[in-house]
Amino acid sequence: MAAETTHLNKEITAIRRADGESRTLAASLPRLVLEARRIAANVIHGLHGRRRAGAGESFWQYRRFVSGEPSQNVDWRRSARDDHLYVREQEWEAAHTVWLWPDRSPSMAFASKGARDSKLERGLIVTFALAELLVAGGERVGIPGLMNPTASRSVIDKMAQAMLHDDADRASLPPSFVPSALAEIVVLSDFWSPIAEIKTILAGLSASGAHGTLVQVVDPAEESFPYSGRVEFVEPEGFGEITAGRAESWAEDYVTRVALHRDQIRTETNKLDWLFSTHTTSRSAAELLLFLHGGMMVSKTSVGNVSVKAGRSA
Amino acid sequence: MIAGLPLSFAEPLLLLGLLSLPVLWWLLRVMPPRPRRVEFPPTRLLFDIAPREETPSRTPWWLTALRLLAATLVILAAAGPVWNPQTGLAGKTMPLLILLDDGWSSASSWDARVRAADELIANADSDRRGVAIVPLSEPARDVTIMPAGAARVALRQLAPKPFAVERIETVPAIERFLKATGDCEVVWLSDGVDTGRGPEFIEALGKTIGDRTLTVFEGGTSSPLALVAAENAAAKMTVKVLRTDTGLAAGVVRAIDAKGSPIGEARYAFTPQSPEAEASFDLPVELRNDIARLEIAGERSAGAVQLLDKRWRRRAIGIASGATSDTAQPLLAPIFYLTRALGPFADVRLGDRGVAPQQAITQFLDQKLPMIALADVGTLSPEIRERLNAWIEQGGVLVRFAGPRLAQADDDLVPVKLRRGGRSLGGSLTWEKPQHLAAFAADGPFAGLAVPKDVTVNRQVLAEPDAVLATKSWASLEDGTPLVTGEHRGKGMVSLFHVSADMRWSDLPLSGTFVEMLRRIVDMSGYTSNPGAGVATQSNAETVAPLHILDGFGVFGPPPATAKPLSADFRDRATPDHPPGFYGPAEGPLAVNALAAADRIAPLDISPLKARRASYTNAEPRDLRGILLSASLALFLIDAIIVALLGGGLAALLRRRAAPAALALALALTAMMAVPSQLHADGAESRDDFALKAVSQTRLAYVVTGNADVDSIVKAGLSGLTLFLAQRTALEAGDPVGIDPAHDELAFFPLIYWPIVPGAAKPPQDAINHIDAYMKQGGTVLFDTRDAVESAPGENGASQTPGMQALRDILSSLDVPELEPVPREHVLTKTFYLLRDFPGRFVNGQTWVETLPREDEEETAAQRPARGGDGVSPIIITSNDLAGAWAIRPDGQPMLPLTPGEPKQREFAFRAGVNIVMYTLTGNYKADQVHAPALIERLGQ
Repeated sequence: MAAETTHLNKEITAIRRADGESRTLAASLPRLVLEARRIAANVIHGLHGRRRAGAGESFWQYRRFVSGEPSQNVDWRRSARDDHLYVREQEWEAAHTVWLWPDRSPSMAFASKGARDSKLERGLIVTFALAELLVAGGERVGIPGLMNPTASRSVIDKMAQAMLHDDADRASLPPSFVPSALAEIVVLSDFWSPIAEIKTILAGLSASGAHGTLVQVVDPAEESFPYSGRVEFVEPEGFGEITAGRAESWAEDYVTRVALHRDQIRTETNKLDWLFSTHTTSRSAAELLLFLHGGMMVSKTSVGNVSVKAGRSA
Repeated sequence: MIAGLPLSFAEPLLLLGLLSLPVLWWLLRVMPPRPRRVEFPPTRLLFDIAPREETPSRTPWWLTALRLLAATLVILAAAGPVWNPQTGLAGKTMPLLILLDDGWSSASSWDARVRAADELIANADSDRRGVAIVPLSEPARDVTIMPAGAARVALRQLAPKPFAVERIETVPAIERFLKATGDCEVVWLSDGVDTGRGPEFIEALGKTIGDRTLTVFEGGTSSPLALVAAENAAAKMTVKVLRTDTGLAAGVVRAIDAKGSPIGEARYAFTPQSPEAEASFDLPVELRNDIARLEIAGERSAGAVQLLDKRWRRRAIGIASGATSDTAQPLLAPIFYLTRALGPFADVRLGDRGVAPQQAITQFLDQKLPMIALADVGTLSPEIRERLNAWIEQGGVLVRFAGPRLAQADDDLVPVKLRRGGRSLGGSLTWEKPQHLAAFAADGPFAGLAVPKDVTVNRQVLAEPDAVLATKSWASLEDGTPLVTGEHRGKGMVSLFHVSADMRWSDLPLSGTFVEMLRRIVDMSGYTSNPGAGVATQSNAETVAPLHILDGFGVFGPPPATAKPLSADFRDRATPDHPPGFYGPAEGPLAVNALAAADRIAPLDISPLKARRASYTNAEPRDLRGILLSASLALFLIDAIIVALLGGGLAALLRRRAAPAALALALALTAMMAVPSQLHADGAESRDDFALKAVSQTRLAYVVTGNADVDSIVKAGLSGLTLFLAQRTALEAGDPVGIDPAHDELAFFPLIYWPIVPGAAKPPQDAINHIDAYMKQGGTVLFDTRDAVESAPGENGASQTPGMQALRDILSSLDVPELEPVPREHVLTKTFYLLRDFPGRFVNGQTWVETLPREDEEETAAQRPARGGDGVSPIIITSNDLAGAWAIRPDGQPMLPLTPGEPKQREFAFRAGVNIVMYTLTGNYKADQVHAPALIERLGQ
């Protein structure tokens, strides 16, 4: 219970810091660059045509007037050209929903001695900043199981509030839910869960055809394994512990094992045409933010396999 | 007590705890050190990594050994170890006989000996045994068994004796005691030094004791050192330091005067295995004569003290010879033999060179010398005789040697009445053989000297037979005639050698006996002839009473009741009756030492004795618990540090801090090294460059005026001249150099061209000084005012131009020689080209050089086509702007037009420049060269 409280306190601190930092980050991102990319990519976010008639502003098609419709729908200018009545239909435009999942499990609170931020902080910063950016661009942003999609300008506050008042267990991976097919999912986690769990969750999330991005946020220590001597390693979420006699001799094996784990995740995401990347907290948060942004753009417009390189993704 | 080690335990049973060590070993091996706990999110991945090695789960063996050692120390500490425990004895009921060495050699370790005896007595007391103490220095003392309390009191009353103890003399007393007592246990507290009859004593003791228990205490203390054979040699005072233990290596001998104030210190160092070392005091003889006591610093014993009396003082002895002073063969002169014979123990003074013997004697008397030797000095003037007599009355010692002159003379400064003329032995007209030395008078100063067999006497002066002749003769020949006679007069003494001091009459001066005889006589002379200081008059029979006596520790004290007076010529080592110290009057005491000069000490060999050996415990019993516990604590600390290291704590610390720290350190070091070297480099390098440039080639130099126009013209001009020189002469000079006379070194340049710029500031005094020095050292400065064209017509016109004014200003502070216009025959006009004048851009300027020495004869002047001074004129002054005429543009065309512009003017200007340069380089060589034909003609070629 004490550990639980400690973790919650840590989380609250992290949220507070992330709140401030994410705003700074979002503000400091070069808007113009984003703008330019938006134009180049045709559509990034904001209102997206759905290739079908509906509520919108741009012309989609004329169709025959069906009796029973309100007469005010008739496009009289077009109808005057021949003998039929036509209805002018606009393309249905709807805002994109982006589900963000910042992992807030105890394992994310890990920060090695040299790291500036814990993984939790980094994840929250990027989540908040991304949310701010997306909302500014007109998207709706939500956190599965915690906050319904919203386009409110004060999305960071809302998210922060929601998290602060969340009394559920801190799960590593997002709860299984069914996003709409066109939704975008961004999962920021350390993904140290067994590959089977990850596979299950991924299968659930992608079942509806939603596209997503997995970002593995890791600490530098988790990359390089800078331990030596006799060390007892403890899993923060209570999944056991192991004692290394000479930790330095484990480093090589560990690095190989991590690479294998990532390969497995990557295989899975490639199968689903999702994106997978890793981010080390020693690197800039802006880098990750740009990558996520770019990743969403690409996923919108691309056909087939696109590889985006950012951060330490390989 | 553990065999071989002075170590015992208070609670030996606790040592059984050591048996638990193997169990501890096993436990320590099994229990791994506690790991460092680290939260690590990807731990689940680590589960997949097969644990490859788990060695650290078992402690490294050396760490275990460390901990075991610490545990052992704790157990040992608990058992209460004691270093140097109380010595126990074997017997339980028998009385205890303690033999105690108490000679001077026991003094340095006396405390240890007394402590050991105290312990023995205490043990005997607890066993209720009687104790008998026998100090080996007192053979007469009765040996009785005392209760322990009385024995302790008796022990307290003992003190080391200041003389060497013959232990064997006590053996009868011991024997008597043993016979009376029967069974008893014997302990000998030895000092381990054999001062003479050690082996005899060992043998006798072994026989006396028989099969009784004997314990010999030996070693464990510092072995004694001794001083012997102090000698006041010609250049230094030397003294020998003796040791028995080869371990003691070096130390200091102190010299102290009669009042107890230190005079000097000398170091000694034993060479390995050598039993003796020498310390020498390198002091002036006056100071050395003041030394009354030598002692080894830090050594408390009478043997480590050497007392010196007047016999160790070096006397000043005047020697006068009646032989002619033109000593063509100095090695045969009497003075030579006397000097060599007296040199080792006295300071010989000779009369000033070329001084008659009488004057020399006067000098000696004025110097108040205590002893004068006269070699074959004949007649003395009455005044000198009187003075000599008075001097002898006051304590002077006069030694005379016979010779042809003495044989003819007649005076009263001889101890016996002499017969006229000498006697020669072994000659063709005599029947007697050369005589050998027979004997030394037993009551004379030479008593005890060995009679040499090889000394022969060919000639001697004879004494008138007399009733007292026999008492006066100190040495006689085989036929009974005296060889040396002597007599006391007043406080002084007159002595006569009836042979000469050289080899003509006998070969006595060649023998060592001669030296010894002289030494004896010198010993009798006072230190100075000041009234009261001399004690030479003491007759042999006189005895002297003890004055200050050394105790066993080498400290002066009042004489004990047992100290007896001794005869004034006592030369032996100290005895119980005559303990070491000063005897006689306070102003000239006689020194008696514990050891004679020839005494040596040796370690005592007790191996023939069947005895238990014991060592003096040099220290108090010492509880070792504290040391052991601290050591184990230190080991535990080390263990903690090692565990921390193994846990990786320090590694992490180092990894994080090391890189920036090392970087900072490296930066700081680099900065420190770089900064000063940069600062240094500038000045030195540019100066070196300048020097290198200047000396690698001959270069013309000019003074940079600061006026750019002038400087460029001058530079071009000198370049032109350099080119011209290279074309016409053998001189291929380098590019001209502009210099600043205030800062640059001028000595590299044969000629400095100094263009005068009117109105320019006068050069600083530094520059003037440099130029002055340069001119004095043989350099030539060519001043060019460059304004001949501006000079007003008239007698003084040339000296009124602004350039001349500026030049005069500069020269006002220079030491300029007298000047004159270049005379027609001046060598400057002939050094390379034959010139009449020295045109430049202008032709009407006058050229001035140092005035040549005036010719005395008109005709010579007419004959000599060239004259040059001794050196090169240090200064040449012109106003013709030579550099302007020489100046050429880079394309080879002249830079400036000439005035008036005659066709050959520029050529002549260059020639003038060549002559000037050649003049500065070759000096007046050309002036001599013009004589070459005449010289060659004179040589007849």
